[in-house]
Amino acid sequence: MRASHRWLEELVGAELDPGEVAVRLTGAGIEVEDQQSVGEGLEGVVVAEVRGRRPHPAREKLQLVTVFDGAGESEVVCGASNVPEAGGRVLLAQLGAKLPGGFEIAERKLGGVVSRGMICSEVELGIGADEGGIVVLGDDVQAAPGTKVAEALGLYDVIYELGLTPNRPDCLGHVGLARELCALLGHDFRWPALQPVPALLAPGELLPQEQALFSLGLEAQASVQGGAHGFAPVRVEIDEPERCPRYGAALVADVTVAPSPFWIRQRLFALGMRPINNVVDATNLILLGFGHPIHAFDYDRVQGSQIRVRLAAEGECMTTLDGEERRLRGDDLLICDGERPVALAGVMGGENSEIGDETRRVLIECAYFDPRSIRRTAKRLGMHSESSHRFERGVDPGAVPRVLSASAALIASLAGGSVVEQGLDMHPRPQSPRRVQLRSERLERLLGTKIDTPEAKRRLEALGCSVSVEGEGPAQQLAVEVPSHRPDLGLEVDLIEEVARLGGYDAIPTELPSIRPSEAGTSESIRFVERLRDAAAAAGLSEAINYSFLSDRELSDAAAPAASVRLRNPLSEERSVMRTSLLPGLLSNLGRAQRQQVQRFAQFELGRVFVGSVEEAGQRLPAERHELGVLLWGARDAWFAEGEVADFYDAKAVIEAIVRRVAGLPIDTVLDSELEAERALHPRRRARIQVGGAAVGVLGELHPGVVEAFELGGRPIYARIEVPALAAQLSASGPARARELPRFPAATRDLAVVVDEAAAAGEVGAALREAAGELAESVVLFDMYRGDQVPDGKKSLAFHVTYRDAAATLTDKKVDKVHAKVMQAAEKRFGASVRR
Amino acid sequence: MDAKDAEDPDALAEFFERALDRIAGGYPRAFAEAADEHALRAENARFAGPSGELTRWMKRMPELPAERRRELGKRANELKQRLQQALSERIEGLQRAAREAELSGPHLDVSLPGRGQPIGRLHPLSQTRNELLRVFSAMGFDVADGPEVELHEYNFDRLGFPPDHPATDMQDTFFVDVAAGDANAGGAGVGAGDDGRASVLLRTHTSTVQIREMLRRKPPLAVVSAGATFRRDDDATHSPMFMQLEGFMVDEGVSFSQLKGVLTAFLRRIFGSDLPVRFRPSYFPFVEPGGEVDMGCTICRSYQGHDGSSCRVCKGSGWIEILGCGMVHPVVFEAVGYDPERYTGFAFGVGVDRITMLRHGISHVGLLYGNDPRFLEQF
Repeated sequence: MRASHRWLEELVGAELDPGEVAVRLTGAGIEVEDQQSVGEGLEGVVVAEVRGRRPHPAREKLQLVTVFDGAGESEVVCGASNVPEAGGRVLLAQLGAKLPGGFEIAERKLGGVVSRGMICSEVELGIGADEGGIVVLGDDVQAAPGTKVAEALGLYDVIYELGLTPNRPDCLGHVGLARELCALLGHDFRWPALQPVPALLAPGELLPQEQALFSLGLEAQASVQGGAHGFAPVRVEIDEPERCPRYGAALVADVTVAPSPFWIRQRLFALGMRPINNVVDATNLILLGFGHPIHAFDYDRVQGSQIRVRLAAEGECMTTLDGEERRLRGDDLLICDGERPVALAGVMGGENSEIGDETRRVLIECAYFDPRSIRRTAKRLGMHSESSHRFERGVDPGAVPRVLSASAALIASLAGGSVVEQGLDMHPRPQSPRRVQLRSERLERLLGTKIDTPEAKRRLEALGCSVSVEGEGPAQQLAVEVPSHRPDLGLEVDLIEEVARLGGYDAIPTELPSIRPSEAGTSESIRFVERLRDAAAAAGLSEAINYSFLSDRELSDAAAPAASVRLRNPLSEERSVMRTSLLPGLLSNLGRAQRQQVQRFAQFELGRVFVGSVEEAGQRLPAERHELGVLLWGARDAWFAEGEVADFYDAKAVIEAIVRRVAGLPIDTVLDSELEAERALHPRRRARIQVGGAAVGVLGELHPGVVEAFELGGRPIYARIEVPALAAQLSASGPARARELPRFPAATRDLAVVVDEAAAAGEVGAALREAAGELAESVVLFDMYRGDQVPDGKKSLAFHVTYRDAAATLTDKKVDKVHAKVMQAAEKRFGASVRR
Repeated sequence: MDAKDAEDPDALAEFFERALDRIAGGYPRAFAEAADEHALRAENARFAGPSGELTRWMKRMPELPAERRRELGKRANELKQRLQQALSERIEGLQRAAREAELSGPHLDVSLPGRGQPIGRLHPLSQTRNELLRVFSAMGFDVADGPEVELHEYNFDRLGFPPDHPATDMQDTFFVDVAAGDANAGGAGVGAGDDGRASVLLRTHTSTVQIREMLRRKPPLAVVSAGATFRRDDDATHSPMFMQLEGFMVDEGVSFSQLKGVLTAFLRRIFGSDLPVRFRPSYFPFVEPGGEVDMGCTICRSYQGHDGSSCRVCKGSGWIEILGCGMVHPVVFEAVGYDPERYTGFAFGVGVDRITMLRHGISHVGLLYGNDPRFLEQF
């Protein structure tokens, strides 16, 4: 919300420093997000008197106007049609003046005539919205030629942009802000005085005597009898007292709808509202002043002189002020006349009873509506208005008579006419004031500092509370009656905040507490995930963090399971379901990287996927499971290794490194029948990852179809580890066990076996190891060869076999004997020819 | 005449003597001319090796005439020792020369690139989160976790958000439908409560973990939790998914001044001990009194005397809004079955994205979730 410094000064009744206002309001929780000075930068614009005018010699639409700027006369070319006759006053931008937007006034030739200045419109000066012509000063502005415009029009102001939290509806108007400032700065708050009313109608038969009437308390400059105006008595019925606990109405007759005086238009403009006409402008000024939305009906268009507050019928329609036809539901509250809806209560008026140029009689509504009801309607219809914004936060129900009086007075003073002396105040559900106890001991304990009881009392009273002190010593407490403009104060803690707030949080000392450690500490599952994350980074991968939501299409392109969690109100189709796999996100990252000519891609993501569901508190939530996804593509990071690209075995090494680091366990990569389900991976280039014999994930080249769907190049490799499965293996195996270091030397023998191309190296190695028996410490493949000396369809696998006896130094003789057995076994098992 | 032909002991003695002279005269030059240790040893072998000249002659000593044997034997032994000494001196010299040559040879091209070792790294968000968690862990907070897809009840109701209240506008929410059991069932879903109100959503804050942990455990509690949260916002400073860190402490006698102490210490441990910190009132339904914390702008560092008047991050104010906080609202304690008369507590929430952006000078939140390798490799 915007607030005017000058208006606040008027209401506080003292001169204020804008910087201090901003600091104090912000420090009290009413955040001043920005402040703008108004009226500065118009130094070269002055009041000027028209001394004469004549047609332009060459241009039909232009005039030559002679103006007097207090110092001298000059001739100015002007294209406006509303140039006043001699004696009229206009606003002249003198040579050298700079207008908002940076336009600088200089001598210009227009149709062969030199113009020495410019006569300005509101829009050109940035002081209003009127584009209809130049500004012609009326009698309400007393300023001699030569007076600076900002001074002449009282433009100087500071406009604050406030970021209000939803608990403070009382600050949605200048009166409430002034009350807050008074409390903060130590001034006494007074309600603004009412405008004197030009004429007042005695009620006569104008209002039904059986309804609740109150005197508006207006001070009249003249008084007239009512009967002559031919009012039918207005009658208000409230069908829904819970939703409309208070409804007030007042009548103003004989108004003349016209533009408002400049100061009102300028004030509304500066506060972000569009001036319309004096009656509508008055309602907006009341809204900005009191923070209480009111509505003005053209009373002659209210059928049957009747107002009825009722719920809409399901499917009922009405056209609101903005010209939109609204289809209503049974939950929407309506203001109706004798026949039809005339307003969507608290949200927007109806077109059918709008104030227009012909309006003569105005019915003013000032009500209190149930915030929840207004909010539901406004939200469902997407109609966030200045009015609904305030009603849904809670206006002051106690202020209805006061606001109604002020509204009637303002309309009558702006638009002329006569106010009916009494107003209507239907109050079917009066709320009794809230009473809250504030224990002094509790105040001290919660804040951690002592605030004297009299000081706490003073602060609460400054906010409008009635406070009395009860009890003594540790049992001392304040009995507080909360004012109706503070719906947010209902509990003791709310009052504690008020006391702390007015003193400023910075006045509360800081203290470091002793924190008692818990027995359980942070759970192992959380710590495991973080260790895994570190291990993946240590293995040379960069961590990616993708959105948890994506599109159905990305999931199906990545051959991932269909989504089971769907957003009801996504921002876009691209982010409309929760991911069931980390793969699509990583593939999208790779796609973007490839388009940026990145040569190497090695990313992992460790995050949640949403597959299946669990029951909780009688409702269904998705099962959220942590996965580790690894995607490799592109050049190996090696010295001048041009043309070498990462493949399956690079990814395998990465996974091995990660698993060894977190679990101290080796991995196996095997083929199993369930791999069929891994449709994202190449059916001939994929494997199951096992740890300790249990499946923990998969590894493989991506399926060409997936590569194509994501418009990728090359052969990316993907690995997925299911974190709970890996964690289970770790907890089964426990921390790594230490082995004693060998005391006797090892002996190494090499052998190469020529086997069928289809034979798996892992199986050959395992067979060798088995044949070598206990003496073999390790069997390590060190070369694989095809070509010369190896027949077609065969390959040669070369192994280092390391022998060691834990209890003695091995003799060559013994090693040779065992090694011979190994070679025999290889020949027999694989029909292999063994090369030594 | 060849020595092997010398049958006569006297003649042999003559030859022996001449041989000694010849060897004594020949080795210095031969040794000096040997270019390396290998050649030197070969030269030495020619004289003193198992079949070298001197060795061969010395084997024939018994054949020498008895009267000269002693004298010639002594000379031969002396010569052998001289040879040995000359050899080791020469070896030393050669080694010294070789070392000198090694150390004075051409320079390595130190400008060639290092051989690539892939450098893995955590995402900047993870790095920052770890840093924040480390600070709180060191103070005694446990780390906890909660689901990203949450019940309305835990995200709003039990945190004291009144139904149909504008407070929920501060957190524009994604609601979801959850398909039953089978992952392939698709969207025909559950998600609305009996009243038709959407009851399952993407959590809008990590305060859900407050409720879950308080339901699961009993005071004293000091817990932090970090994770993904979601709001329907998407612009230069708002990402629809973002990382939040939540912390809370519940015990007897926890006070607002302790909240100030913990959060001030936290911010100064992250951003430096001279960081100005200020607290001002604000509103969140689940705390009362509630507040926000501003810290000195770490981009322009006007608090260290730099000119911050044109700083775009703090807009010249010198302050950056960084934390939301407050004392746990009694309605929250009631919602989890704690006695609000006995226990008090504080809670706070901080945007991990925001701190990450401030720490690294990242201008656009979209960069954090774009995962461009060229971006990630900078951290």
